[in-house]
Amino acid sequence: MIFITLEHISAHVSFSLTFVVTLIYWGTLVYKSEELSNSGGKGMIVTCICITGVLVTRSLYSGHLPLSNLYESFMFLSWTSSMIHIVIEVRGQDAWWLGAITAPSAMLTHGFATLGLPDKMQQSAMLVPALQSHWLMMHVSMILLSYATLLCGSLSSIAFLVITSQINQKIFINVKNSFFFNKNGNSHDQEKKELKHTFGLSFINYRKWLFTNQLDQLSYRAIGLGFSLLTIGILSGAVWANEAWGSYWSWDPKETWALITWIIFAIYLHTRINRGWKGEKPAIVASLGFILVWTCYLGVDLLGIGLHSYGWLI
Amino acid sequence: MGHCNICQAQRILQDCANISRWTYGNKSLGKHPSQKCGFRIQLLPSGRLRNFTVMARIKEAKNPTKKSKLHSKSLSITSPPEGTSAPALSDVSLSSEDSSGQAEMGFGGLGVLRKLPRKVLKLLSSLPLAIGELSVLSGLLALGTFIEQGESPQFYFEKYPEDSPVYGFLTWRWVLGLCLDHVYTAPYFLGLVVLLAASLMACTTTTQLPMVKVARRWTFMKSGSAILKLEVAESLPRANIQDLGVLLMGSGYEVFFSESVLYGFKGLAGRLAPIGVHAALLLIMAGATLSSIGGYHGSVTVPQGLNFMMGDVLTPNGILSKPIPDFQTEVHVDKFYIDYYENGEVSQFHTDLSLRDTNGKEVLKKTISVNSPLRFGGITIYQTDWSISALQIHKNGAGPFNLAMATLQSGDNKLFGTFLPLEDDNSSTNPKGISILARDLQSVVLYDQEGKFVGVRRPGSNHPISIDGMEVVVDDAIGSTGLELKLDPGVPVVYAGFGALMFTTIVSFFSHSQVWALQEGTSVVVGGKSNRDKLGFQEEMNRIFDSVPEVVGKKHSAGQQSASLENDEISSPMESTLS
Repeated sequence: MIFITLEHISAHVSFSLTFVVTLIYWGTLVYKSEELSNSGGKGMIVTCICITGVLVTRSLYSGHLPLSNLYESFMFLSWTSSMIHIVIEVRGQDAWWLGAITAPSAMLTHGFATLGLPDKMQQSAMLVPALQSHWLMMHVSMILLSYATLLCGSLSSIAFLVITSQINQKIFINVKNSFFFNKNGNSHDQEKKELKHTFGLSFINYRKWLFTNQLDQLSYRAIGLGFSLLTIGILSGAVWANEAWGSYWSWDPKETWALITWIIFAIYLHTRINRGWKGEKPAIVASLGFILVWTCYLGVDLLGIGLHSYGWLI
Repeated sequence: MGHCNICQAQRILQDCANISRWTYGNKSLGKHPSQKCGFRIQLLPSGRLRNFTVMARIKEAKNPTKKSKLHSKSLSITSPPEGTSAPALSDVSLSSEDSSGQAEMGFGGLGVLRKLPRKVLKLLSSLPLAIGELSVLSGLLALGTFIEQGESPQFYFEKYPEDSPVYGFLTWRWVLGLCLDHVYTAPYFLGLVVLLAASLMACTTTTQLPMVKVARRWTFMKSGSAILKLEVAESLPRANIQDLGVLLMGSGYEVFFSESVLYGFKGLAGRLAPIGVHAALLLIMAGATLSSIGGYHGSVTVPQGLNFMMGDVLTPNGILSKPIPDFQTEVHVDKFYIDYYENGEVSQFHTDLSLRDTNGKEVLKKTISVNSPLRFGGITIYQTDWSISALQIHKNGAGPFNLAMATLQSGDNKLFGTFLPLEDDNSSTNPKGISILARDLQSVVLYDQEGKFVGVRRPGSNHPISIDGMEVVVDDAIGSTGLELKLDPGVPVVYAGFGALMFTTIVSFFSHSQVWALQEGTSVVVGGKSNRDKLGFQEEMNRIFDSVPEVVGKKHSAGQQSASLENDEISSPMESTLS
């Protein structure tokens, strides 16, 4: 009984914390304040500890790892989002804007788990025979880790697209206004470069350009890592299926959608090879990937068929 | 020879190679900036060597009226210049003709035939094609999830009727005609997968392997200006190149010195791993093909106490299926039982199996459960399903009678039922009797002849129940186990592919970073690049540059002798962060 109350308290505390941290980081987007971002970072660490507490107490009283139903997987996703933030901050990379992506991810997944799911679905249940396997730990944790990193990378790409479209708008307006920039034979990219040079002294636009570069890099690295993790997750699922039912691939909707997600992110990584397609085209693919991850994770359950259905809406 | 000379051709060559390294085929790169003469550089793939050949056709500008004599000079380059100021040149052939086509490279008459597979290879290894293939594949995969797969035609007649088509046009004619009921085994799907495999192989041979050769070959950069053109470059005054080398080594680089130049790299595996990824994918595809056309599969429901012969229940998958002697083994189901949690939910299914050979000798005895199959000589037996075959009862003290149970509901929530007639008269069209239902082996529910609920009994509890004047004792619920047998020769291949893919995708994540440095007098010119983690590399380099100690010598400048310090070397404050 004490574990259940402890879990409830931790869940409520961690949700409030993620909410506050999200507000802090969104605030730092507007007001750049050193102490604000510091407190955001510390808040993230405390949040991560709280969510760890939730997961640990849950696994203690249920007797299995907290990965067996929708509620637990969402909490794990929330935990992973906060972990990603902490890992990147610890590595010392200058990413003051990172919290604006990871904190809302942690908050929204957490909120969906605790507030969005009906109480019955949040209960811890015994593992059915099919889930009683060591592969559960490997497969589900890898998949959820990959979801979290891929979502982080995709969100970064979406932010990239939004901001570059703003830059393009500004440049377009400036090109229209200043006619002496109309040199013959200059490509659009060259014009942009010249404008960036000219605007180099203009503080805001140069910073935006640096910023988009950072977003692009985060998206590339996060998706690169997420892709490897997704590969491991899918393949460990296949091996598990072979051990349990003798068939490593049975075209289950969830398996198929995981494969589709894998392919889309493979396309993303390949578009980056071609130097001609800089910046925007890969970002569009990554943004599509965002929708696909959610389709794979939740959408298949809504269909209600296949081995992975949690049978929620149906 | 006109005003253009070979040196100028070299410079353009270097620029070309830096811009677009792996272009095959004819690519005209525009006129030479000097307007004095025009010459065209064509990059052509050469014969047996995997290298670039530049054919510079140098036109004489002096006599524009006369048909200019085209002096063609073929310059063969063994590797694209990476970090070299002057590529190694060697004349391959000298031919002067004014033909507009390619120079003869020894193809001779078989030129077209030899060029064709190369053209196909080039076509297959194109990146847009690969991306297109993957996109179409994704679309087909998604299609297969929206339309139910593998159902009977009747299902599609009902679900996609012609008089009210789904989405306005999708009728069963579309579904069955386009093989949408079995997308993943449809010919167009398999053809696409084959095409993808061909693209993978083409890409590996034409693009990836040469890239490896380039990445492993490296040269020192001997020109300070060339180094400063790199992505991350800095000129460190009053520094020693040895110190830089030590710092790089501390950061995990493999460093090479030569006189006053330095080269360091790390993460080369990150460049080699993508080849491994492609190879692993091909291995998985090969294994999957082997699984689908070789091996056997079968499923059987065996009541407790009965047995079957392995070979009887196995059906071959395809043309590569070969029977093995172990098919003669007899599988005996000794016992089937279910474990339950305290709340009554199922905890695990178990089957005690005993395998006997043709002589009746027991060769293996094992209890299997879900996630714990039995492996015997290549065949694996899995616990996948269960059912109740019969109910054993005593009626009015007589018996035992076996009542066969029928499956009323299968799937996740099973329901079984049986019927015990009251009268012995079998000819009655409307028999009256007791109905008994069961969800699992724990308990049965009994209903009287009117269908009213009477009671619940546990099999084996010896607790009689009185219904319609009869006394029934439920002795036992005899279960039957649902087993799946598989013989899959492709599994080892597929598992090897899985392991390789998992490993190589992780290694592909690492970034290949390279650093060049040159000692120019008292300052060190250093620069580098990284293929994936550009920002991280920049930060790493900044950290290292900041840590390079500053050398302050005694003989500084004449007027500042008092300012010089005792030691020859004074480290900058940042050096303390070294250790």
